[in-house]
Amino acid sequence: MKTSAPLKSACKQYEEDLVLHYYGENSEGERHSVERHLADCDPCRLFLEDLRKLLPQITQAEEMPQSFWDNYYRETVSKLTSYDEKKYWWRSFFAPMRTWMVPAFGSLAAAVLVVGLMFGNDKLNLSIEPRVERIPQEILADKSQLEFFESMEILEALSKLEAQDEPKTDVINHDAGRAAMPGQVA
Amino acid sequence: MAEQQELRDEELVALSQQGQRDCFDVLVRRYMEKAFHIAFNFTRDTETAKDLSQDAFLRAYANIKQFDGRSSFYTWFYRIVVNLCLDHARRHRRVAWESLDQMAEESGEQEQFADSTFAPDEHAIAGETKRRVDKTLETMPKKQRTAFLLRNHQGLSIADVAKVMKTTEGTVRVYLHRAVAALRQSLLEFV
Repeated sequence: MKTSAPLKSACKQYEEDLVLHYYGENSEGERHSVERHLADCDPCRLFLEDLRKLLPQITQAEEMPQSFWDNYYRETVSKLTSYDEKKYWWRSFFAPMRTWMVPAFGSLAAAVLVVGLMFGNDKLNLSIEPRVERIPQEILADKSQLEFFESMEILEALSKLEAQDEPKTDVINHDAGRAAMPGQVA
Repeated sequence: MAEQQELRDEELVALSQQGQRDCFDVLVRRYMEKAFHIAFNFTRDTETAKDLSQDAFLRAYANIKQFDGRSSFYTWFYRIVVNLCLDHARRHRRVAWESLDQMAEESGEQEQFADSTFAPDEHAIAGETKRRVDKTLETMPKKQRTAFLLRNHQGLSIADVAKVMKTTEGTVRVYLHRAVAALRQSLLEFV
């Protein structure tokens, strides 16, 4: 196919305004100006008619069946889900948890924490053992001395006992000495 | 889910930012057709358009917390789709040109066949129109094409196109005008 007729152009200064006029994108002042010009200019009128015939043909989009759009939507949502799974991979660890498990575990953890704090601060003492008064350290330091003095008292007592028993012992020893030397002449 | 579908984009985005995935799913359902069509207009291939537009949803979701609400969600999201499509076009330029050459050859064969045997019917004209549009869009500078596709195919206002493309409205007007002029030139014989 060959072009059968030479192309008739619009007036150069109005061509752009005519395109905008077709799209309804010119201002009110421009629109009035174009309309006044069109009344007197055949090439510009022809140009605008061409646009009104040509451009709607170009716009015709290929009609896709509904199944195409259903499939398109499903695929897109699936791709978005895959993206979420990659980005928030750590969520899979918590996936088995049901909604009721979260507050349950939370309450349990809070209870454990409270009990731990109470025992840790020694505010809750459940033991029923009697309290044993502790001996102050300065007293404990003299304990060995106390024992020493106590042992000294025992020794003193022993020496007293020995002193009481001493005369008898001397007599016995004296008699024993005589017996031991029978051949001696006094 | 039914209640969430009633929510506005800003509310859905705010809830998605708080980790409500199902709210983002609503945004997917709301914009999947537009995202697919814009990717298709760039790539002219169903599977590639599907992959690219789905990828755009993934990127939007991954960066949803960075969305500060200065523009609308769809402007922000379209920018992601368009950038992905432009990246894809850069990577696959060679392939696109090869397929374009193939299309041109097939088109030539059909022309000969039509001229010698049959009068062209509406279907053939529509097919030829599509091929010529594809070819013109393919050879058009990227920014012109992007501006045209966003305005003509997606119905974004010029102000929104400018936000998506991070340029001024005046520049978008120029791109749009040039793109339309090029398409008119290529399609005039079918009018």
